[in-house]
Amino acid sequence: MNRTRRTLTTAALCCAMLLGASSPAAAQPVEVQWWHAMGGALGERVDELVKNFNASQTKYVVVATNKGNYDEVINGTIAAYRAKRAPQIVQIYERGFMTMMLSEATMPVQDLLDQRGYKVAWGDFVKPVAGFYSYKGKLMTMPFNSSSPILWYNKSHFEKAGFAKPAETWQELEQQLYAIKQKGVSSCASVLAGDYHWSLFENYSAINDLPYATKANGYQGLDTEFVYNKTTVVSQVGRISKWIKDGVMEIAGQGLSPEQLFTSGKCSTFFASTAAHSSVERTAKFDWSATYLPWEQGKTPKNSTIGGASLWVMKGHKPQEYEAVAAFLDYLAKPETQLWWHKVTGYVPLTNKAYQLAKEEGYYKDHPTREIAIMQLNRGTPTANSTGFHFGNFTQTMMVQREEAEQVFAGKKEPQAAMDDAVKRSNEILRQYEKLNKGKY
Amino acid sequence: MSSAQAGLKRAHYKDARLPALLLLPQLVILLLFFFIPSLRALTQAFLLSDPFGNTVHFVGFDNFRQLFESANYHESMKVTVVFTLAQNVLTIFVAMVLAFASDRIIRGRGVYRAIILLPYAIAPVVAGILWAFLFNPSVGPIAHLLHGMGIAWDPNRIGSDAMLLVVLAASWKHVCYDYIFLLAGLLAIPSSLLEAAAVDGAGPLRRFFTVGLPLLGPTLFFLAVMNFVYGFFEIFAIIDAVTRGGPAGATNVLVFKVYVDGFINLDLGSSAAQSVVLMIFALFMTLLQFRYVERKVSYDV
Repeated sequence: MNRTRRTLTTAALCCAMLLGASSPAAAQPVEVQWWHAMGGALGERVDELVKNFNASQTKYVVVATNKGNYDEVINGTIAAYRAKRAPQIVQIYERGFMTMMLSEATMPVQDLLDQRGYKVAWGDFVKPVAGFYSYKGKLMTMPFNSSSPILWYNKSHFEKAGFAKPAETWQELEQQLYAIKQKGVSSCASVLAGDYHWSLFENYSAINDLPYATKANGYQGLDTEFVYNKTTVVSQVGRISKWIKDGVMEIAGQGLSPEQLFTSGKCSTFFASTAAHSSVERTAKFDWSATYLPWEQGKTPKNSTIGGASLWVMKGHKPQEYEAVAAFLDYLAKPETQLWWHKVTGYVPLTNKAYQLAKEEGYYKDHPTREIAIMQLNRGTPTANSTGFHFGNFTQTMMVQREEAEQVFAGKKEPQAAMDDAVKRSNEILRQYEKLNKGKY
Repeated sequence: MSSAQAGLKRAHYKDARLPALLLLPQLVILLLFFFIPSLRALTQAFLLSDPFGNTVHFVGFDNFRQLFESANYHESMKVTVVFTLAQNVLTIFVAMVLAFASDRIIRGRGVYRAIILLPYAIAPVVAGILWAFLFNPSVGPIAHLLHGMGIAWDPNRIGSDAMLLVVLAASWKHVCYDYIFLLAGLLAIPSSLLEAAAVDGAGPLRRFFTVGLPLLGPTLFFLAVMNFVYGFFEIFAIIDAVTRGGPAGATNVLVFKVYVDGFINLDLGSSAAQSVVLMIFALFMTLLQFRYVERKVSYDV
């Protein structure tokens, strides 16, 4: 009995010593967790990206986990953070920028990399991308998957209706869409995208250089107030509503993705993200193309703004883990990584260098539509109206706006009354955010 | 419960430890999944807080005040009441017709019952997607049929169409539940009463309305309460799959609003306040059921 115990103790000690001795020698790589929202084909690309990074060096290992859609990822992160189990890196939608930045749970990415001596060409980021994710001239979060809405169209539908391509302005395009419908080319001239608020209201405002809210769209203070009820966003809501009522535009509804209605060849146009490239290229069996989003007659179009998500670095982890995070983010910022990501997904290249590389290798000769979003983002110099949107509780105000717009689509409210109500309700939500975060921005 | 029965039950356990041990798993589950979340919701309802919990202001009853002042919340309450009432009436009516009919079917009764019970075995999300698809104005076969008949059916745009759709989907899913109880209730009616009525010359319908229905009263009351509970608390998945509360909030019932405000809008204070209001309502329904239903419904059926 006694002897057995001694043997066991000795064995245990040996094991402990072995373990203790071996770990520094083998130099276990530092592991960091990355929660993302990229499912399906995009998820496979993320896995590939992480695999490439892990293979490129031996010190760090990034583990990427898909935690569902954007809403689920931010909720999962919040729950994990409260339980002190948050991952080091999380992918959060662009709308969550203010929520994340003022949460006191994240750290600025630019500082993190600069302090560790990484030479990232911050100034080289495409302006609307950097503009959206910056605060006081510094990137708070690492841009990752950025897109911008473009106008997808069915070439043969347009040709059959006697048009070479979609017109540049909303007014002329409207006539074309009505012609497509009336000539019987297609019963569905357009289909409303799931994120129509983004393409048809927010980007509409940026492109037409219309103020969305006071204080430079929220960039200059939490006391910002929405003003889109005083711009042509109101007539834009009326226009979309008219299209829907006249059967020119369809709403896909639940259980069916609007994209399918376009890629199946049923609907002639689709105002949606350039990120749809991967699926349109794969599924659309007809002659399709894409072009810039339209603008109002008589306007000089500005740049569009971005959507998508960025990578936030969470507080509360070990220093060596931040070394790993910094190395990974630096890897992401490299033009080669950017170029690869742009090509395999359909998201825009985030830096001008990556864009140049794609041009130099003639990528856009074979894929002309993939250049539209980046050219649209780079069009002119961004103004206060087209740099981006810095609103707290931005998802909530967006939901309010959609609800009011749908009242117009249903014929229950006039566009002006609906947008007035949307602004009134949303401003109350902004005040809540201001009250909570006073003095932090 | 009579004192004799109580004495009998107590006599089974000489020691308090065993029953406590047997109760433990249930109590732990209740603690983890009911009491702790409820307490957290209760405290959160009085706070204005950043979702990450780093900035928290105590705001007293502000969340509740804003809630009750919000036209949007009133609308959601109205929608919930309309939905629940419509679903309740439709479910009971259809279940009653089916139960009455199957009580009279002799051949293939088992098959008939099995078919009626099938929807209950289908996951609510699947049921929801099925209905959404069938009635989708772009691709749904039933929607095409309706369009062919000249009905401008569009649940994506017209609130009342969307409401009708979720009521149908929710009722279809719940009819079987009511059906089982009603069928059991009908079977429990003493045949002597029905035969006596038949001898007196009452037809099947007359027998049903004058003899069967009154005797089913307690069952119907119980089902009405259960349908209310279902309509208020258990239709999340169907709403999520069929309309996501839209269009323009036309089907944004209270439970769905709690979810949207909490998990999409990240407005935890308001979402918690809404949960507390719903919790109070649930308590009220439970009391109602204990007070009136438990006494009158005989489980011997």
